[in-house]
Amino acid sequence: MKLAVFVHEYREPEILDRLKAEKFGIILVQNGVYHATLKKNGQTSPLLSKEAEFYALSEDLASRGLSDDKVDPKVKVVNYEGLVDLIFNDYEKILWL
Amino acid sequence: MAVKKYAFIIEKLPYKSETSRLALTHAIASQTVEIHLEEGESVEPVIAFVGDGVLNCLKDQKALDMYGVTSQEMHIKNALLLDLKVLVCKEDLEKYGLTEDDIIMDAEEIGGEVTTEIVPFSEIMNVIETADQVLFF
Repeated sequence: MKLAVFVHEYREPEILDRLKAEKFGIILVQNGVYHATLKKNGQTSPLLSKEAEFYALSEDLASRGLSDDKVDPKVKVVNYEGLVDLIFNDYEKILWL
Repeated sequence: MAVKKYAFIIEKLPYKSETSRLALTHAIASQTVEIHLEEGESVEPVIAFVGDGVLNCLKDQKALDMYGVTSQEMHIKNALLLDLKVLVCKEDLEKYGLTEDDIIMDAEEIGGEVTTEIVPFSEIMNVIETADQVLFF
């Protein structure tokens, strides 16, 4: 199964470690985009150490004053159109956590 | 003339909910709302960003372009324009590796004269202790 999850808050959803998929995507939206840019006490978000493809929504980054060049290299920045492409082309199931 | 000191402490992140925005608009409005005041009293609001709340203060927020809503940046600048005291916790900024270059420090472009103050949490604690009313967002 190709599974993608939306993470929309700056905390880690508990269920994340229990989800298994052949292809696993984590899409950071709304306050979830802080995971992609912030280093708390010098450490990147533990979320980024998961085995997954990471995406962050550019509109949500820009709204919060977070520039693309601060985004962790593991995370691909996508806009709304790119996100729609991901949902339709790259993943079979989508969860909103 | 008696002065009522109101402390607006902001710990929530912006945009996901209205909470931190309401803190700012309430703080700005509190100067003009007299419903709980006696004759001759006035209000001195203090805004303090702590914890994750310091992320409300990041520069270059494009919320108006992206969401069609006023950004926290605009509200903070309005607060500075109206000479409200705006405090940001030094330790929490450091926790995120942020400096005064990353956050909104003034509202010069709209004619504001006061600047944001980066202060240790002990000073914010002092604001909480000395305030007549503390509102936590």
